[in-house]
Amino acid sequence: MTQVLKARAGIITEEMEAVATDENLEAEFIRQGVAEGRIVIPRNKNRKEFKYCGIGAGLRIKVNALIGTSSDRDDMEMEARKLAIAEEAGCDSFMDLSTGKDIDGMRKQSLSLAHVAMGSTMIYQAGIEAIEKYGSVVSMREEDIFEVIERQAADGLDFMAIHCALNMDVIKRMQNTGRVTDVVSRGGAFLTGWMLHNQKENPLYEKFDRVLEILKAYDVTLSLGDAIRPGSIADSLDGAQLQGMIIQGELTRRAQEAGVQVMVEGPGHVPLNHVEATMEVQKRLCNNAPYYILGTLATDVTPGYDHISGAIGGALIGACGADFLCYLTPAEHLGLPTEEDVRTGVITTRMAAHIADIAKGNQQAWARDLEMAKARVALNLNRQIKAALYPEQLKAAAAAAGDDRGCVVCGTGCAAQVAAEYFEIR
Amino acid sequence: MSLLTRALEGTITSEMEQVAAREKVSPEFIRQGVAAGAIVIPGNINHKNIMPVGIGKGLRTKVSASIGLYGSEASLAEEISKVKTALAAGTDALMDLSVSGDIDAMRLETLNSASVPVGTLPVYQAIAEAGKKYGSTVKMTAEEMFEVIERHAADGVDFLALHCATTMDVVERAKRESRLDPLVSYGGAHLIGWMIANECENPLYQQYDRVLAIARKYNVTLSLADGMRPGCLADSLDGAQVQELVILGELVRRARAAGVQIMIKGPGHMPLEHVKATVTLQKSLCQGAPYFVFGPLLTDIAAGYDHINAAIGGALSAWAGAEFLCYVTPAEHIGVPSADQVREGVIAARIAAHVGDLAKGRKEAWQWDLEMSLARKQLDWKRQLELAIDPPRAAEIRKTRNNGESTACAMCGKYCAMEIVAKYLNTTKHSC
Repeated sequence: MTQVLKARAGIITEEMEAVATDENLEAEFIRQGVAEGRIVIPRNKNRKEFKYCGIGAGLRIKVNALIGTSSDRDDMEMEARKLAIAEEAGCDSFMDLSTGKDIDGMRKQSLSLAHVAMGSTMIYQAGIEAIEKYGSVVSMREEDIFEVIERQAADGLDFMAIHCALNMDVIKRMQNTGRVTDVVSRGGAFLTGWMLHNQKENPLYEKFDRVLEILKAYDVTLSLGDAIRPGSIADSLDGAQLQGMIIQGELTRRAQEAGVQVMVEGPGHVPLNHVEATMEVQKRLCNNAPYYILGTLATDVTPGYDHISGAIGGALIGACGADFLCYLTPAEHLGLPTEEDVRTGVITTRMAAHIADIAKGNQQAWARDLEMAKARVALNLNRQIKAALYPEQLKAAAAAAGDDRGCVVCGTGCAAQVAAEYFEIR
Repeated sequence: MSLLTRALEGTITSEMEQVAAREKVSPEFIRQGVAAGAIVIPGNINHKNIMPVGIGKGLRTKVSASIGLYGSEASLAEEISKVKTALAAGTDALMDLSVSGDIDAMRLETLNSASVPVGTLPVYQAIAEAGKKYGSTVKMTAEEMFEVIERHAADGVDFLALHCATTMDVVERAKRESRLDPLVSYGGAHLIGWMIANECENPLYQQYDRVLAIARKYNVTLSLADGMRPGCLADSLDGAQVQELVILGELVRRARAAGVQIMIKGPGHMPLEHVKATVTLQKSLCQGAPYFVFGPLLTDIAAGYDHINAAIGGALSAWAGAEFLCYVTPAEHIGVPSADQVREGVIAARIAAHVGDLAKGRKEAWQWDLEMSLARKQLDWKRQLELAIDPPRAAEIRKTRNNGESTACAMCGKYCAMEIVAKYLNTTKHSC
């Protein structure tokens, strides 16, 4: 029985218990959320115990990191280091998006090292194996696609991004309306190429029940890929995106009915004035399934600083109801992130999530900020370090400053000290 | 005659024309904005090499960087090099917030180095001089404060930050309401302490006409500071902050009546859901005067990353109507920023300003993003790097995060989405 079926049967699982404790909520609240599809707790039945994370309504917003080899940089040891750094920096989950030589080996390595939920984008491996076997992604066979889903699920992946919601209607809509940056999703591009070349419907859409069957067998959470997400501000909320979202909604309901946990992937490049509408439409069309956001990037022009543009969009869409933020690093749109980029990406995205949690009135989030404010008023650096989102910077500064922490300006008879005494704050 | 007076008389000055040309609007639009107080163009008659910058409604959102001498190890040369860093990173204005050392020399050197508007906070210097003269800042006299204000104005400072609305009433309310952090602003804290120790009302409020007379004489734009800006989320939109904003609104009216351009400084720390309300309140109470916000920071716990925290708050504030963003660096709440951190602070603030401009539907902002996306689709790397908000940084990352000469990037390597889709949609043919 999958976790969602257990939830519907009234059973509180160990995963639900763990999430409830972590979030300081009733286990029954979590069970209900899972049963109704508003909350997912990714965990493959073949994976041993790890730090579970609940994603969805009423919970702290979660942050996902990305690692993985590529054809241009195929260094599995480096990716292992990135995973360790992402976990240390506080990611709640990660995806291994490897496209290098040994994708199976990378996945096994990541699974053996990880302490958090792990996901993948399965079509990368199917596409790359097709290129190796037949010379081209368009020669990929349907059977190969399903075999890769099964292989990855059997290995123990907790969630899988699968681009089921891309179909011929969506592609036609895009061709009719025209776009600045057509398909920016790599998985979406593989499938678009395959569909147009073969003039065939997307097998992941057409044989969606078969996808669900495999996921159900291993209790994998489906992350419905957003093949048609806007890749530029100009394309946000266009006909193709909305057509894709309607299909995502259809498939979300079918997954929920089948007893498969499901969340929905979202954009992408979105101007701030589109954020709330994007969020509302997703929740409405996708039956309140958790929304997993890639950004959102609030502008196109910040290569080198896309972690900042992503944090701007992420904080706002989180405040509007997004449940899960995929990180962006300073290397986005330019290359593959280094270890340091990974750290920056996780911390920045955690900040966006925290800002959104505060806006939503999350009590744990408010308590932490209050503690920091009190520590600042008390000029207590140790308490500040404890409350900080990422204390290393404060620790380093404290060490560098040494004893030189007094005010340099006026010595005794300080007016600010008079004011502090008046307010009885020190 | 001040710029505001001329605008009210219907005169389009050369400053207004220059701003209009840069913003691609009509000079008459600028004149009307200045006359209504919705736009300011800071420019002291004694700041000779200034290029006028317009700040306000209907214009591109501007950013300001702060530098200054602070602490015994501060060096003038180093701070001036930060001025140059900030200008190279694209700041629209500068503030010299020196609190120690040779403050006069620093100010003159900043004015000489900068063709953008320069602001200062004169009470810092008054405090420093009283500290030296009396060994105690509470012994500072009101006369000494005004002397420093006049000195800064005479030197050519374009906008002066002054805590004119931090009155005894406001201070008492903060105490009565047990504000968590009543002493956030360095200048405000000293001024409040001085008022309490000397049992006297804030002279910058009581003798506001004198402030106005100095400002009018040198065509200085007032940037009224908020001594009660919230310094933590818990204090946001409390009685003390709002009461000070009410008083600031009164002072806006009086400044305009005196022919003095004025903008209002704003917070600070606030939760995301207060951003819109804060800007709306300021616009209403201060009759559309430009809002110069410090961040705002949307969480208290992001030390080391407060430039990003501020970029989030700044973007939302700009969208809500704030026109001028004071940068925050990664050193905020930790120490004095290095030149690199100054650069990061300016870029983060510029990102916020641009994101706000996009959300407001500014045409130039949309055009910039469109060009970038077209360059991406064509895999035109040269053009992408040119269009980046910080081209050298984008070029450096592209160089260091990739191996060899790929047409795409190491993220996707051989499997570039743009290349695959272009082939099958028969859209763009490209090579690079």
